[in-house]
Order: sequence, then structure tokens, then C-alpha cells
Amino acid sequence: MTRYLIRRVLQAIPLLLLISICVFALIELSPLDPMSMYENNPDISPEDIIRLREKLGIDQPVYVRYGKWLSKVLRGDWGTSHVTWRPALQEIKELLPNTIYLMGTSFLATLLLAIPLGLISALKQYSLLDYLVTAFALMWRSIPIFWFGLILIIVFHVTLKNPFSGMPLFPGGGMYDVRHKGLVGYNIILDYAHHLALPLLMLTLFSAARYMRFMRSSMLEVIHQDYIRTARAKGLVERLVLYRHAMKNAAIPLATIIALDLPLLFSGALYTETIFSWPGMGRLFFSSAERADYAVLMAIVMFNALLIVFFQLVADIAYAYLDPRIRFR
Amino acid sequence: MLRRVVLIETIAILVLPLFIACARPSATPQAGKQGGTLVIGFYQEPATLNIALATQTVCSEVLEFMNDALVGINPQGEYVPQLAKELPTVQNGGISPDGLTITYHLRDDVTWSDGQPCTCDDWKFTWEVQMNPQSGVRSTAGWRDLSAVECPDPQTIVFKFTKYYAPHLQTVGGAWPFPRHATGDPAKMQEWAYNRAPVGNGPFRFVEWAAGDHISVVRNEYYHLWKSESKPYLDQVIMKFIPSREVGKQLIKTGEIDVLWDLVEADIPDFENLAGVVLSASPDTGSERLILNLRNPEIDAPCAARLRKEGLWHWALGDLRVRQAIRYGIDKKLINDKLLYSKATLGTAEINIGWAKPNIPVSEYNPDKARQLLEEAGWKDTDGDGTRECQGCLYAEKGRKLRLKIQTTSGNKLREQCEQVLVEMMKNIGIEFYIENVPSAELFAPFASGGFRAHGRFDIVMYTSSFGPDPQSQIDNYYGSWNVPCADNKGQGYNFHRWISDEADNWIKIAGESPDLDKRKEAYQRISEEVDKDVPAIYLYNRLELNAYRDALQGWVANNWQSMGWNSDGWWLKKK
Repeated sequence: MTRYLIRRVLQAIPLLLLISICVFALIELSPLDPMSMYENNPDISPEDIIRLREKLGIDQPVYVRYGKWLSKVLRGDWGTSHVTWRPALQEIKELLPNTIYLMGTSFLATLLLAIPLGLISALKQYSLLDYLVTAFALMWRSIPIFWFGLILIIVFHVTLKNPFSGMPLFPGGGMYDVRHKGLVGYNIILDYAHHLALPLLMLTLFSAARYMRFMRSSMLEVIHQDYIRTARAKGLVERLVLYRHAMKNAAIPLATIIALDLPLLFSGALYTETIFSWPGMGRLFFSSAERADYAVLMAIVMFNALLIVFFQLVADIAYAYLDPRIRFR
Repeated sequence: MLRRVVLIETIAILVLPLFIACARPSATPQAGKQGGTLVIGFYQEPATLNIALATQTVCSEVLEFMNDALVGINPQGEYVPQLAKELPTVQNGGISPDGLTITYHLRDDVTWSDGQPCTCDDWKFTWEVQMNPQSGVRSTAGWRDLSAVECPDPQTIVFKFTKYYAPHLQTVGGAWPFPRHATGDPAKMQEWAYNRAPVGNGPFRFVEWAAGDHISVVRNEYYHLWKSESKPYLDQVIMKFIPSREVGKQLIKTGEIDVLWDLVEADIPDFENLAGVVLSASPDTGSERLILNLRNPEIDAPCAARLRKEGLWHWALGDLRVRQAIRYGIDKKLINDKLLYSKATLGTAEINIGWAKPNIPVSEYNPDKARQLLEEAGWKDTDGDGTRECQGCLYAEKGRKLRLKIQTTSGNKLREQCEQVLVEMMKNIGIEFYIENVPSAELFAPFASGGFRAHGRFDIVMYTSSFGPDPQSQIDNYYGSWNVPCADNKGQGYNFHRWISDEADNWIKIAGESPDLDKRKEAYQRISEEVDKDVPAIYLYNRLELNAYRDALQGWVANNWQSMGWNSDGWWLKKK
């Protein structure tokens, strides 16, 4: 086990290096130029541009910059944003909790919704409920997420009003009410929940649709196995057949998918965060890409790559734990 | 996006003396009600609140609430004292006869939002920051022409200049100072805590910046107008960062935000008949234009000297008659009526509003004349496919089709619609325009990183450019022959048309050196006439400055020359 772990970690090093080289090259190849934001400003002379290029170090060839970046990262320095002039890590640290809060709650809600529904629809295959759940899942797999987000805003924020206060039924964005936070009568838990509702709904419906399908097919596969038939044949109570034998085995592929999805908790949801003004990682990534802020971009991408490698390892270990047929060598 | 940042710095001091006669108070006095919180929606988040590092317009929009300068500008484009007791003039001794020494007398009651006095030393410090090579300031314009800032007493600021040039002088008077006590070492400016939590001298005091969400400011009780005039009226202003204008439109409808910043012309219909929301529209200094490349686009960035010798004319646009024909073929009024809801004014010249606006008529729409000019120029449709070919034209090989590439920033609805209309209009006169749009960062990429606009590798590009109260740098940059970007001048300037006119060069110099306003006005008239005659650019329409606010907000006055919150100390909320 230990030897397996060491081998996997060692394998991850060249992989991460390769990822960093690819991302660095992609940013380099993009037509974005960090200096383009200074263009069209008559007060910025070419001398100013040259001075700023030197200050940022972008006047040097790409391999020199990559080497510098790498040696700094190995010492724990992720570089400084050339837009905000703050350490890239600082930018991430500020927004990461917001993303974990949104993605974490939606992840939990997804599992709570998708696992039971997926199970039921598998057990009652071809029943009305199964058709309903399948149709629902297909619908949410096909709707564009950004469109649905805007519809949510139009319906629950613009059109529907709270009958008591006359205010919009749900807020149209943000994590909390900036106008009333900290004032008398402000209920922090209610306000956060109120703001979380719509983005949570949007994210949960979309990922639940996916998990439901997984859960359903995985369970269907298992209940048609010989050992389930055997269990039933030997007269085991149906409840025990399902809980002890079927569900445990159906959970194996699901555990892998959950583990592989965990990095999303940290990388955030670009569309949801953008549409609902959620100050999270998805928006940071998007705005950094827009302004060619490569220190922040590299930090986000490498952070995600690290998490993916890590959770893949976790998935493999979980798999072995759940499935005794698999052993590490 | 830089307009506001630029604006504050390019106010012209030379014209100040001439404006004093008509100077008036910045806002009509009106007793506002105290209290309330205002929420403003911005679809961008500032990268920094340090104006010397800022590159986005939104930075100055936010900072405007927290800062005052020595002088400001009112909606009529006139200069008014803000923190200075009066405007310096030659008559009152504020400007020395040679124009090299400018003296300001600071109001006695100016205080930073932390209670420390704001004095001459802070302007001196601001100059030290601007001139520190380590500080990383984005521009040193104006400040680099200072030899000293002297403080005979805390309330007297003396700026000593090394040369005499109008816009540079005012760069200083219109600038927000840095507090020496609340910043840090100029060499380490990028690391100042101030950049995320500034201390200012304006009506509001910084409270917090929740990254990705909002910046909030509250009344600065040390503000110099608080004791005397009970200003600002508002308790708090929250600047909320929203993902887009589209989302902002929904939020202002429901009252979640009170003000929505920076709308575009295409948004106008959404606000017509929208109860509770006022759309503030006023003409802007920006004008949407077509830049025609006069020179061979296959040659990389030829310099002015070479162009004078060799010509290197564009195979089609090098011929004046083709340029004139394109202009005759464009129905500007139709563009305004169909795409801009007739709210804009038609483009005529670079300077489209303000004191220096030249008298240039709107170009005529006359497709017949366009066709006639093209025939004369040797562009004839012989194969009957609707597009003309070169049959004895000046610079192209025989048989070459008159197909021109038009490019603008991708993802801009209005521009894309405008391109479609232009394609149709050109088809009507036998010219084929084909569209190849690019992201704005690519279109505006600087010379040093190989930007195709700066290197002259295009036929026609379309975009907006704006200028500050003093149009000199804009005119100089776009039309001076020394501003043809090429290796000789390190890629400086915006003369992307590569248009060379000795006549215009001469008038540009006169306009830049003359202290006489009438003389300058005449110079701008002459330059504009030259441009109008030679058609290196076609001005389509003038942009509008558009912001929306809920009708509970009182005291709003649109002012193109400053940021939206220029008179925010006079804003107040009407209770419903």
C-alpha cells in the first residue's frame, strides 16, 4: 500500500510538470497581451510600456519566464498578479471559501436528491416514476445552464414578488444583502440562505440529473447479477438484499465519480457564479483569463490539476476499499 | 475603457484663464435630505484603488467618491476650483507670465478621511511617487515635466515646470493626491495596503472591499463641505459588482441596485417607459469611426519618412476617390435611426463636442456620386457579379476585385449590426466589404506585441476613441505625421491611417504651442477640414454616455468630463 502510494505520487510529478508547460504555452500562444489594456491611453508612451514590460518581466523569452515561474513555485511563491499587484495566492484565498460554500452545499443537495431518486427509478424500472425521473434527468442534461440561470432570475427575481413586502421573491445575485448587512433586524442565516437558494437550485438540478442517471444504471446492472438472484433465491428479505448486497456494490462506481467530482468544490462553477454575481473561483478564473493575468491563471489551473491528481488517487483507494477484488500491488 | 482615467489627467490649464469669466458653481444648490444608502451596480471590479496603477475606467469611477482634486470640471466643460481656493490665472498671479510656475492656494479645511490634514506636502509626495522609477506608475504624463514642487507654507502649492505645454500643466491640477502618511515607500507602491483600502480627501470614506462582491464607503465626516454645507447627504454608497449589464438591467428594475453604470446605445429601448428608472443620456467625446489604411497592408509598419519618399499606397484605399466613394456610400442617418434609435448625433470630426469643436458639415449620402467616382477611379464591374474590378485603377493589378476587409471588436452587438448595414451600403455601390472581427485585446494590441492595427496590417478597422477636455493629445496622436507608429518612433502614436499632411502637421504644432484659445480653435478647424477633405477616417456617429438610476435619487447631473459620481456629495434619496 505504502509503496503503491509512493509510486503514484512520483508518477504525478512529471504529469504536473507537463500540465504546467502546456498551460504556460497556451497562455503564451493566446493573442492576449497584458499590455493591451494600456493601449488607447494617450498618456502612456512607448517608454512607459517598455518600462512596465521590464517591471513585469514579460520582455524575456518564454522559456526564461517559465523557468523563473517554476523555480519560484517550487519555493512556494505563486507570483504576483500584474493587474492587482497582489500575490496570486492571496486572490485565491479570498474567494475560495465562497466557492466551497456554494459548491459544497450543492454537492450535498445533489447526493441527497440523486441517490434516492436514482435508486427508486432503478428498482421500479419502467414505472411511471422511473419515466418521470428519467425525463427530468434528460431535460436537465439538455438545457443550457446559463439560459436556465437567466430564466430563474426573470421568474423568481423580476416577476414574482413577495406578497408581504412587495420585494422580489428571491435576490438576483450576490451572497448577502449588501444594503442591510449588519443593520438592526438583519438575520444573517436567513439572508445567506435566501441568497443561496437560486444558485443552489440551478447547480443541484444540473448535477443531480447526471448523478441520477449514474445511480440508476449502476443499480440496474447490479440487481441483474447472479448473486442478487442467489440472495433472493435463498429467501433473504428483499430489504436486506437491496441494502446489504445490491446497494453496496452499486455504490462502487458512484464513489469513483464522487471522488473525481470533488475538485469542482474548489474550482467553482463559471456560469452559476457569473450569472448570480457569486464572488468565487469561477469568476476569478474568467476575469483573469480576460486580462491575461497569467500568474493568477497559472495558480488556479495548477491548483486544480493538483486536486484532480490527488482525488484520483483517493478514488482509486476508495475503489479498492469498497471492492475487495481489487488489491494494490 | 480608459477614458475616465485619462480625462482627469488631461484637463488643460492654458485655457483656464479664459474660462474663469464664465465659471459657475458645480451644482445648483438644493437642500438635500440627509441619510440613506445608495447601491450602484458596476459590471467590472476595479483591479486596484490606486489611481496611478489603475488601467480601467471603473477604478476612477469608484475613486471619485473618495477623492477631490485641486480643480474639477463642470458639465459645461468649464474648470472650477475644487480644493483650490481659486483657479490660478496670470491675472491673479497663480500662473507666472512665462507659464512655468503654477501656484495653487489650498482651502484651509481640507482633511484626509482619517483626520490628518491634507497639505501641500501630499502633492509633493504625489510627484515623488510619479517620478520614482521603481513605483510602477502606468504613466508619468505631466509630472515628468515638473522640476520641483515647492511648499512655502502648508496651504500653498507651487509647481515648477521645465517646459510650456497646455495639457501637461493641467494633468497635475486635476490629479488626486496621495496621502504621504497613509501610503508608504514610493519604490514599493505596488505593495501599499492603500491600494486595497485608500485614504482620500473626498466626500466618502472607504470602509471595506469584499473581493468579487462590493466596495462600500460611508460619509467622510472630515470632508470639507460636511461642517459648512452638511454634504455629503448620503450615509453610505455601496458599489456592487454585477456580472453584466444584462443582469444589471434586471437588478435596477427591481430596485436591488439604484444606479447602473455605463450602458450602451443598444440598451435604450429597455429603459423607455420603464417606471421608476431614469436614463441619463448625454453626448460623449467618443466617436465611432472607420480608420482607412492608406498604405500597403502587406508592408509591415512603414515609417513616415519612407512613406513620404515611396508612397506605398494601399491598392484601393490609397486612391482618394475610392475613400470619397465609400463615404458617399454611407448613410449615417440611417445608421443612427435604425441602430441608435435616433439618439446619437452624426459623426463629422474627431472633436465632436466642447469648446474646440470645428464646424464641419455631415458628409453627404449620395450613392450615384459614389458610383461615378469609382468609375472615374478605374473600378468597373465588367463581369456583372456586382463587385467592381480594377480596370485601369491607380495602384492595383488589372482585374483585382474591390474586396475590402472590415474589422472591429467581436461580441459587440451594435458594432456587428453596424457592419452588416455597411456591407449592404457598400454592395449598393459595387464594393464588397467582408467582416473579420477579433477580440478587443487583439484589435488594440500595442505595437510592441505586434498588434495588426499598429503595424498597418489591415484595410479598415472600426472602433471608438475619446478625448479629454483638451483635445490636443488626441489630435496630435491620430493625425501628426510623427505619430505614424513604426520602429523609428518605437511604435508611438495612433496615426493608424498612415496619413501624412504637412498642412495638418503645421496646425497641430500651432494648436499645441499657442496660449491663445481662438488661435487654437482655428487650428483645430483647419486640421479637421484637412481630414474631411482627404478622408483618412470616416466618422460615423458620436457615442452617448448612458447611465440609469432609480428616480428616488435626486441631485444627479450628467457630466461627460468627469466620472459619474463627480457631484456625489450633492446626491440624496427621496423617501417614498
